[in-house]
Amino acid sequence: MDAADAPAALPGDALREGVVERLRADLGAGLIDSHLVPQTDLWVRVSTEAWADAAASLKAQGFDYFCFLSALDWMPSPYGKGEDDPTVEKEPLSTEVVPGVTGGDTRFQVFARVTDVRRHFGVTVKADVPDTLEMPSWIPSFAGANWHERETHEMFGITFAGHPDLRNLYLPGEFEGYPLRKDFPLLSRMIKPWPGIVDVEPMPDAAEEEDGTAEATPEEGGAA
Amino acid sequence: MTMLSERQQLSYIAAQAADARLNVELETEGMTLNIGPQHPATHGTLRIIARLDGEQVVWAEPVPGYMHRGYEKLTEVRTFPQVTTLINRIDWLGSFANEVPFILAAEQLMEVEAPPRAQYIRTILFELSRIANVGLFLGDLGVQMGAVTPVFLAFRDREHVLNLIEGATGGRFHPNFDRIGGLKDDLPAGWVAETRQVMKRMRMFCDELEDLLFGNEIFQSRTRNVGVIPADVAKSYGLSGANLRASGVDWDLRRDQALPMAWDKVDFKVWTHPDGDSWARCWVRLQETRESTKIVDQLLDGLPAGPVMAKVPRIIKVPAGEAWVSTENPLGEMGYYVVSKGDLGPFRVKIRSASFNNISIASWVLKGVYVPDIITILASLYFILGDIDR
Amino acid sequence: MGLVDRGRLPAPLTKLFNIGRSYSMWVYQWGLACCAIEMGAAFASPRYDVMRLGVIPLPASPRQADFVVVSGTVTDKMAPAVKRLYEQMPEPKYVISMGSCANCGGPYWDSYSVTKGVDQIIPVDIYVPGCPPRPEALLEGVVLLQQRIRHEDMAAKWRGEEYQPLVKNADAGREPVVVGGGPIE
Repeated sequence: MDAADAPAALPGDALREGVVERLRADLGAGLIDSHLVPQTDLWVRVSTEAWADAAASLKAQGFDYFCFLSALDWMPSPYGKGEDDPTVEKEPLSTEVVPGVTGGDTRFQVFARVTDVRRHFGVTVKADVPDTLEMPSWIPSFAGANWHERETHEMFGITFAGHPDLRNLYLPGEFEGYPLRKDFPLLSRMIKPWPGIVDVEPMPDAAEEEDGTAEATPEEGGAA
Repeated sequence: MTMLSERQQLSYIAAQAADARLNVELETEGMTLNIGPQHPATHGTLRIIARLDGEQVVWAEPVPGYMHRGYEKLTEVRTFPQVTTLINRIDWLGSFANEVPFILAAEQLMEVEAPPRAQYIRTILFELSRIANVGLFLGDLGVQMGAVTPVFLAFRDREHVLNLIEGATGGRFHPNFDRIGGLKDDLPAGWVAETRQVMKRMRMFCDELEDLLFGNEIFQSRTRNVGVIPADVAKSYGLSGANLRASGVDWDLRRDQALPMAWDKVDFKVWTHPDGDSWARCWVRLQETRESTKIVDQLLDGLPAGPVMAKVPRIIKVPAGEAWVSTENPLGEMGYYVVSKGDLGPFRVKIRSASFNNISIASWVLKGVYVPDIITILASLYFILGDIDR
Repeated sequence: MGLVDRGRLPAPLTKLFNIGRSYSMWVYQWGLACCAIEMGAAFASPRYDVMRLGVIPLPASPRQADFVVVSGTVTDKMAPAVKRLYEQMPEPKYVISMGSCANCGGPYWDSYSVTKGVDQIIPVDIYVPGCPPRPEALLEGVVLLQQRIRHEDMAAKWRGEEYQPLVKNADAGREPVVVGGGPIE
């Protein structure tokens, strides 16, 4: 890769569709779904067993720049945002797992992004995480996945088979729990409601309001 | 600029070989050296555990996490404007640049584009953040190797850029000026003229530093051939920004990506260097800073009139979807993967910060170097702890 | 200084020593995060020069420092190091907590890994609010600390008691001392 190569023109659809075709040729049934936004971006979902092979295939196609690797927890948080009026009773929130782009069958998904620095576009790859929470590691293809997999492990609890040293990266050793899971509560918000909720008591002239006098209504905090 | 002569290079290699023989003959025991987390030479609270054999590093590992504030979890409980307030503080030196990829991702999901004047002003503030950020880097570079003067020059000249950012946005750093759909406010009167003056000043600063620091023989001998990173290793670790360009890879997200910002309206040169050592990384950053001042001048010349905010609803609900936007931040490639479910706030935000990848290579590159070179290599890779730890 | 530890120093002499002490301070910078940059601007830049107040930055180690400026977010992983370095400082020592992260957790008040305020670990004398506070605000914090020292009852400090002002006036003993609350004298 020498600096004398002129940068390629910005890619169109043909390039991204070509990537999908080549992945289908390499992985066969391992490629489950793809989502292409023309001129913008490409998402691809592969099966769990094909996760490491997808990395190798993409690297062979020229995507040798490793951007990042992380995980997604598709279950909505049962705690909400902690910004609701504490004097008003709220209904329990739905914890139904609804996956995003390119679908998914499990609560957790790992996703990663690699970029081709010569053709100037990248691909986001996703895969379902089975209930055993074990995934193959991307280190054989991209050495930089080391730290990313360690972070994903400590934040979600997903283990990566083949990782030489899966210990905590950010959190102190005695930390319990996996913070980025949606069922990990932020205790400060549970103990004390968000201080930005301005008006939790009714306005003193609530009686006049019913008569039709124009009164300013209390606003929920959160807008800019 | 003086170059090391052949004789000097040969004598340096001979001295290293002699040292190596000496280390073999002497029975040196391994010693574990703990650098940090509170250390004047690390840009914040980074801890490096190095196992030494004499003065050479056998094994080194950076231990991040002393500034881990849990950004990705905090974004899940905040609304979109509140997230903008928070993410300023990831790369706390190049502050406006942190907001831009997130706002662009949210705008991509909302399918709204900021008006042209807002795009130009965003780009100008982005480049000013780059100049402020890398200006401090150039000052810190000297201090990490023992030269104390550049840091005073850097702080002095950086104040001018911070005054500009403060004049436009109200905050020296952490401006919190970007909004989904545009900017909070228009530029004040007289700002454009003052910016031109400051850009002249910063070009003088770059020249001063090039002469003072980069022309210094001690600086050159401490940085040349130290910490060489070949291009393929750099790409597999995800090194970005000036680090990647200093290894010879010609890739700049400002030029190679189509974003609703004003970089495609200006001409600028992308600097690369084939060597991949610490000298190359520092040198590329210096050239880029100078290039940024020229970019700002061109943008000021072409600044269009018009509104600075598109028509967006007052309470912002971003439609469901996923978007990834990354930009060429001062530290490298910074990107946000925003997952939205149609609420007031994001469902999940994955923050891809440049320094995380830049420092993950440390255990690979620090093998076999001398202890002072650890500091040199880390200084040239240039990280901000908030960027590593998020 | 046997008079001082036996608590028998007359008040005018205490005042003289206090004045001398307040104008010859060596400050240890505990720069953790963004506030460290503003602290650097306050201490190391020629514009907001702190040396004109009689305070020198950059001691070689905490064992030679008079007071420490904790600037930036304190995380739970970093907290033991903060405590250890505070204990390494010799008495008399003071703490300025700079920035809202060090005061109370700041914008990360709900995070799982942030210590909500450095005063949970070490006793704080002056709070400088802001995110980040301007260098001038930090300089005012330093000036308030100097005023606090000037009013300090050294005998009480040597006996190990909490801060006691020499003359019991309304301002000198107010707690907590926050920048923006006016001078202490």
